[in-house]
Amino acid sequence: MMEKLLNTLKIDALVVGGGIAGMQSALDLADQGYQVAMVEKEASIGGKMIALSKVFPTLDCCSCITTPKMSAVAHHENIHLFTYCEVQSVEENTNGFKTTVLQKPRYLDADACTGCRMCEYVCPIDLRNPFDLNMGATRAVRVPFSTAVPQIAVLDMENCILCGKCEKACPVGCIDFSQQPKLFTLQTDTIILATGFETTKRDAKKEYGAGELHNVIDGLMMERLLAPTGPYGRIIRPGDGKEPDSIAYVQCAGSRDKTLGVEYCSRVCCMYAIKQAMLISGSLPLADITIYYMDIRAFGKGYEQFFQNARAMGVEFVRGKVAKITQDDHQNPVVRFESTDNGSKVSERTHDLVVLSTGMLPSYDTKPVYRIPAGDDGFVYVPEPNSAPCVTDREGIFVTGAAAGPMDIVDSIVMAGAAAMESAAYMSEKQDQAEIHEQAEESEMEVAHV
Amino acid sequence: MNKKVEARARAEKMKQLRKEHKVTVKRTQGLLKEQKRIHRDICLTIRDTPKTIPEIAEVMEMPSHEVLWHITALKKYDVVAEEGMCGEYVLYTRAEEEA
Repeated sequence: MMEKLLNTLKIDALVVGGGIAGMQSALDLADQGYQVAMVEKEASIGGKMIALSKVFPTLDCCSCITTPKMSAVAHHENIHLFTYCEVQSVEENTNGFKTTVLQKPRYLDADACTGCRMCEYVCPIDLRNPFDLNMGATRAVRVPFSTAVPQIAVLDMENCILCGKCEKACPVGCIDFSQQPKLFTLQTDTIILATGFETTKRDAKKEYGAGELHNVIDGLMMERLLAPTGPYGRIIRPGDGKEPDSIAYVQCAGSRDKTLGVEYCSRVCCMYAIKQAMLISGSLPLADITIYYMDIRAFGKGYEQFFQNARAMGVEFVRGKVAKITQDDHQNPVVRFESTDNGSKVSERTHDLVVLSTGMLPSYDTKPVYRIPAGDDGFVYVPEPNSAPCVTDREGIFVTGAAAGPMDIVDSIVMAGAAAMESAAYMSEKQDQAEIHEQAEESEMEVAHV
Repeated sequence: MNKKVEARARAEKMKQLRKEHKVTVKRTQGLLKEQKRIHRDICLTIRDTPKTIPEIAEVMEMPSHEVLWHITALKKYDVVAEEGMCGEYVLYTRAEEEA
């Protein structure tokens, strides 16, 4: 792979990750006058949140919250946005951190692309769309999603037949099949890690079908089904397109589970399952919705009321652990569970669709690049989580959002503000020390002169 | 004249690129051929009468989840359209072609 080394940019702070936490930290720092660089590995910022339908407990539209922030980041005069880039190495020097970043090739001129999608329309090959968790379709050259920021296409060379149709269709002639990866460096005083999370894989538990039952999906897939921009434009099950009449949620399907090595509670699954149940009730008023749970953890502001509202709307809560999910001859998932509501009783129920409330997992190991170890749970290690939740054990590097541990959107935004403040305080202190040092040197010179 | 030279240079460049990405191109060409065949068969199946996913899957002898994915792709790029419901299933038909 040929890599070209570009120039070094001097910037105050580097934010790694363009999800909701990274965007909030970048905006908070930029609003204070700091120059911020944001590096995002995907072709668009927005993170997981831009793919969600609505937030709990207010049921506000996720896109309506995220899109203005994405736009604000892209247009802020103090933010330098680098999408489709990955941090390769971080070296500490006397001025802070020198970060080497790899710009992956989009195979087009990003400055010239207008995001018109003419290339996408003429591309002959259909591919599974990762933004829709592979339920929807996209093309080998595409704008990642309708509200992507920046609105710039990206070409997937691994699935391109090099027919050249996109090149001919592009009105500004920006396709460049010969583009190569490039390296550039950023010199910054501080780094904020906002690398986010992954969710438990749908195939993690063989008891729950090992990902082979098409009508057993996970919470993020249901988010896409509920979103107005979802793959089908309605709620139908991925196995055969049937509109489900009976939907079940299996809680703790990937959290509080020693067999998966995930002993912690993911903190969001109870609430997103309740939220989705309420949204489904709105879309499919006749559908029966059952939530199989061990405990409902409704700890945030307004969360308990939200849970009670779901009960009042007719969502059935069954206390018990689901042992196994199989399917009948009509692809209907059959849930075998032990109910503990009225003594211990093992039962089986057939549903049209089952949603696994999968938990949050660490997505990125910070040790190789940032030399910051992971905690026992695999998320970024924070030495003093109670008094300094954003401060890592490496001076000048801070962490925010779900990179630090499972948390919901509200907590991510709060923590992003805190990380920005910690970072600003660090830079301010560094500046003060530099000025004191400079003054001391000047005084020494004056004394020597006298 | 210039256009001719440009077109020739472009063709030569594409030829070179195809050579460099030989393995990928061969794999994706196979995928595209298969996809075109499936899309043609789906369009033939629903040309006269709108059908549900299980009905299309039965005619094409294909797993219904795969049929749904192809229909989703065809619908996204305006080849197929929804035409009401048949019980719990959506009916799909060929989208009207632009004149």
